[in-house]
Amino acid sequence: MNHSLPDSKTILRETWSNGTTLLAYPNLTSPAVYFTGYMQPGAIADPGDNYGLASFTTDMLMTGTKRLNFQRLHDKIESIGASLSLGTGHLSTTFFGQCLREDLETIWSLLVEVVQEPAFAEKQFKRVRNQILTGIAIQNQDTAEMASQAFSRALYGSHPYAHPDIGYAQTVAGIQKEQLESFHETHYGPNGLVLAVCGGIEPEMARDIFSRTIGSWQSDRQGLPTELPPFTPPTSSIRSHVPLEGKNQSDLVIGVPAPKTVSRDYQVCSIGNSILGKYGMMGRVGKAVREKAGLAYEVSSHLGAGIGPTAWTIVAGVNPENLEKALTLLKQELARFRGELVTEQELQDVKTQALGRLPLSIETNAGIASILVSIERYGYGLDHLRQLPAIIESVTAEEILLAAQRYWDLDKLVITSAGKALT
Amino acid sequence: MPIDLNHNLHQVQLKNGLRVMLKEIHTAPVTSTWIWYGIGSRNELPGKTGLSHWVEHMQFKGTKKFSGDEIDNLVSRVGGYSNAFTSTDWTTYFETMPSAHLHATLELESDRMANSLFVPEEVETERTVIISERDGSENYPEFRLDEAVQQHAFQSHPYRNEVLGAKEDLLSITRDDLFQHYRNFYQPANAILCVAGDISPEAVLQEVEGLFDEIPSIPVTPNVPAPEKQLVPGDQIELEGPGEAHYLEVAWRCPAASDPDFFAYSIIESLLSGPSSLNMFGSGGINNRTSRLYQALVEEDYAASVFGDLSAYIDPGVYKVFATIRPDGDPWVALKVLDDQIRRITAQELSQKEIERAIKQASALFAYGSDNITNQGFWMGYASTFADYQWVVEYLERLSAVTPSQVLNTARKYLRDDQRVVGVYRATQTQVES
Repeated sequence: MNHSLPDSKTILRETWSNGTTLLAYPNLTSPAVYFTGYMQPGAIADPGDNYGLASFTTDMLMTGTKRLNFQRLHDKIESIGASLSLGTGHLSTTFFGQCLREDLETIWSLLVEVVQEPAFAEKQFKRVRNQILTGIAIQNQDTAEMASQAFSRALYGSHPYAHPDIGYAQTVAGIQKEQLESFHETHYGPNGLVLAVCGGIEPEMARDIFSRTIGSWQSDRQGLPTELPPFTPPTSSIRSHVPLEGKNQSDLVIGVPAPKTVSRDYQVCSIGNSILGKYGMMGRVGKAVREKAGLAYEVSSHLGAGIGPTAWTIVAGVNPENLEKALTLLKQELARFRGELVTEQELQDVKTQALGRLPLSIETNAGIASILVSIERYGYGLDHLRQLPAIIESVTAEEILLAAQRYWDLDKLVITSAGKALT
Repeated sequence: MPIDLNHNLHQVQLKNGLRVMLKEIHTAPVTSTWIWYGIGSRNELPGKTGLSHWVEHMQFKGTKKFSGDEIDNLVSRVGGYSNAFTSTDWTTYFETMPSAHLHATLELESDRMANSLFVPEEVETERTVIISERDGSENYPEFRLDEAVQQHAFQSHPYRNEVLGAKEDLLSITRDDLFQHYRNFYQPANAILCVAGDISPEAVLQEVEGLFDEIPSIPVTPNVPAPEKQLVPGDQIELEGPGEAHYLEVAWRCPAASDPDFFAYSIIESLLSGPSSLNMFGSGGINNRTSRLYQALVEEDYAASVFGDLSAYIDPGVYKVFATIRPDGDPWVALKVLDDQIRRITAQELSQKEIERAIKQASALFAYGSDNITNQGFWMGYASTFADYQWVVEYLERLSAVTPSQVLNTARKYLRDDQRVVGVYRATQTQVES
């Protein structure tokens, strides 16, 4: 790896006739190789009310193939110290793995095999269903998770993003093995697959391995991607609480719809969000709620990124007795954020932070691979990292104020919490 | 491409006792600075648990030279990231920065080694923040169970205490307690400064000498706990509480990291519950789906998940196995299945092939951690807290030297039925309101 940023001269990007795309960047200082990417389908492809079907199907992929049972499949991976994981998000199935360079062909061949030829063994079906149900049961007792799920329900309403990708206990319990097989038959395949790889392998060698494995994967059953329905944001403020017994801390989410990820507004809000709840010890909200009032250990703001609607949120974990006090302080900070210009010093600080973060973002193979995936997903172009400094520098305090006023409508806040019952 | 951890490593000790380790890595324009203090919950006395962790929080509140805001800004403004961790055996602070800003981090660490203020009002604000941190952890049944198991596994040794401290101690600790703890243990002779990354060692050493050389060092006399006695035979804990899944935790005594048995124990862990990674930062670990406990417990549907934890400690600690049991399962039945696997590993020698597989996994985990400058900074100081850097350097070699008979003897020595603590958390609630 050299000190320059990955760009169109150093990133190898190629597409194959089966609809797959490879992005590769070398870091030859160690034999470790990391890769990540995405493919169809996502949870939005769940048919009807079968929430969790896509996620369940993906979980089954790593339980064995027509040629390798569970034990043999995982033995192949773990005996060489490698890893391979798949998971389902809203829009796509993501995957990641790591291995030593000499094992890359083995792992990519296995990636194709598990997606193309899963066994869907009865025993594994029952076991995975039990694991998912246990995971959901644990989530249902997690204050942060319950506050977050309540937030998604309230914000997204009838949009599919309102539902957790993993599904609900009732829906998962009702899923039959045949539904998984049928769903797999029509949704999984190479078309639309994007893979980014970084590590101790020359890009040309990675391309050759990709060509022999993922690039030559053929499937004639894969259907078209599911279209994302339109999103209608809430028209008034929403407040809900999920009561959970025996919890010493309550979790709180306040949020609004975020700007589109590929937009000028997003770049502006990203800088604004750092000031609001990320910079240093969690920006302004951290200073108000943690540093000055001592009300919370965890408090921060997050600007969601993705295809389709996303949210701009503030999250906090507080003592149940301090929930309303924390909420009041956070609303005060939001009123200030949309009421006055951020200071020149604040703006300068977060800009230099964002610029300084660039070299750190390429410190690891995983960091670089993740950037390459974003470049492809959002169509930023291979010179994105080179263009980013000028974009960051161009954001003004006036733009941030206008964006804050546009997005943080205090009359349409979605506020959810979970923990001890409210009195 | 073997990884030579001694490559470009420079070590010196200043006249005040501060140990300095510098490692040149020019893969990215980044440096990672770590300072390690030989103080943790292991050295705390009853009634004052949580002091080390609270002092760590106060180290971000301001010194004579830097206000809390300035400390915050120093790293954030240039895009760096920083954090601090308190463990049973140590407390550490790190900053990973664009390399042009290394001087600022050295200046900060030098100043807060001797000049932190501990303003009384800020001590009080932080008291509620730390109690909130503890409350957040207590929301999780696993935390409650683990705290109970830990207290049974150590009758007198401070490893029995949660690093965050007991809530009653957090309510009574004073500003003077904290400041005295800070003055007693934040001494050059009790610290290791490590810098990894895009540096010129000669220039950095000169800077370090300029900033740290004049800090006087007073002798450090920490409370060194007596070795813990054997575990109480048949010790079992059963907790009940809200939740929708049951948990099983089993803890056996494990040797100190510097004990030769530790390496054979690592092979046992790898085989039983999957390999633990020595990386604090980096690209994840290796799944444990072929481990014996996963196969027996999860594949056979007695548990939804299982994992183990063998950590490197100064004193003998515990190797723990955690299993999550689904709501209609029975943790005690899962324990019987686990026991069968323990009997198996104590009954006959492993094959050489199984040992080689564990070594290959450990080698891969090392490679995954080595692409990360922050992680390399971590390795240098981490191993020095319980042994020395050579412990990391020789780790793979020492694993490779383990024989099947050593593994069997180690399993028989430590994984005994009468030398373990069994903890069960039984969920009492099975419905969620919304």
